[in-house]
Amino acid sequence: MLLLLTRPRYDTPTHYLFYWAGLLIEEAKKRGVKVIDLDREKAVKKKLHSYLAKQPIDTVILNGHGSQEAVAGEDNEVILSAGNGTKLLKNKIIFVRACDAGMILGKEIMENGARGFIDYIQPFIFPVDKDFFKKPLEDELAAPILSCSNQVGISLIKGKTAAEAQKDSLDKYAEAIDKYSSSEATSSFLLPILLWNMTSQVCYQ
Amino acid sequence: MEKKNNNQNISEDIMNLVIARLETIPSNIELSVGNEGSFSVEELIERVKKQDDIGKKMIEMQLAYLRSLGKLPTQDLQNASATN
Repeated sequence: MLLLLTRPRYDTPTHYLFYWAGLLIEEAKKRGVKVIDLDREKAVKKKLHSYLAKQPIDTVILNGHGSQEAVAGEDNEVILSAGNGTKLLKNKIIFVRACDAGMILGKEIMENGARGFIDYIQPFIFPVDKDFFKKPLEDELAAPILSCSNQVGISLIKGKTAAEAQKDSLDKYAEAIDKYSSSEATSSFLLPILLWNMTSQVCYQ
Repeated sequence: MEKKNNNQNISEDIMNLVIARLETIPSNIELSVGNEGSFSVEELIERVKKQDDIGKKMIEMQLAYLRSLGKLPTQDLQNASATN
């Protein structure tokens, strides 16, 4: 398997996603999956389109900001949008960890022959503990949400289909909701956020 | 056709409920809301009071959760959701 990721890093959300997507790279390498890591200034349209056109990539994970029709890379540069680059994703499975792109972009990607697509149809929301800004992986309040979304990537790296990866991720959300619903749980403010992201995550296959 | 004033559709009770729920978030926490940026609890409460896009998303998120618990009258929730 050949996996391509984009990991821009220029504001708080992308800073967190940069590190959490780094865990996916570690997981991929552990499993012998080859990785193309378009991090920071490499997360630009020209490089993404070039790799997609020339390399036999199976799975694509895009982290960053999004809209209904587009996904951005470094410094909010649009790297993929409806009508621009979606044909390059034919026969691939795509996980976009960005807001809203499940609404229009994802549907066009599927119409152009992708094997599967997972993203959100609403803003992706997560808490950030300001005391852990420099150590995002140690932020225990961001972790429940980001580990549930990371599950999509982990399952895809394991060779599962988009539908299976979606199920694994939603199961993890359900477990987290159960955990934070218990009477002993603190941080119950996470529950609406978990439910929001869970119900906003869509899968097309 | 007369355009509805959306702000009037969310009752004060619902808004106060959402604000009370946001106040349970610790002060050292910000919420990252996609492209829109990161917001402190105080900023989120202000947005809810103004009922701008971020405020409406917060209302929608909290009401969706409460709806999942079946704890609010459906009519109130429908009125609130209609503004989003």
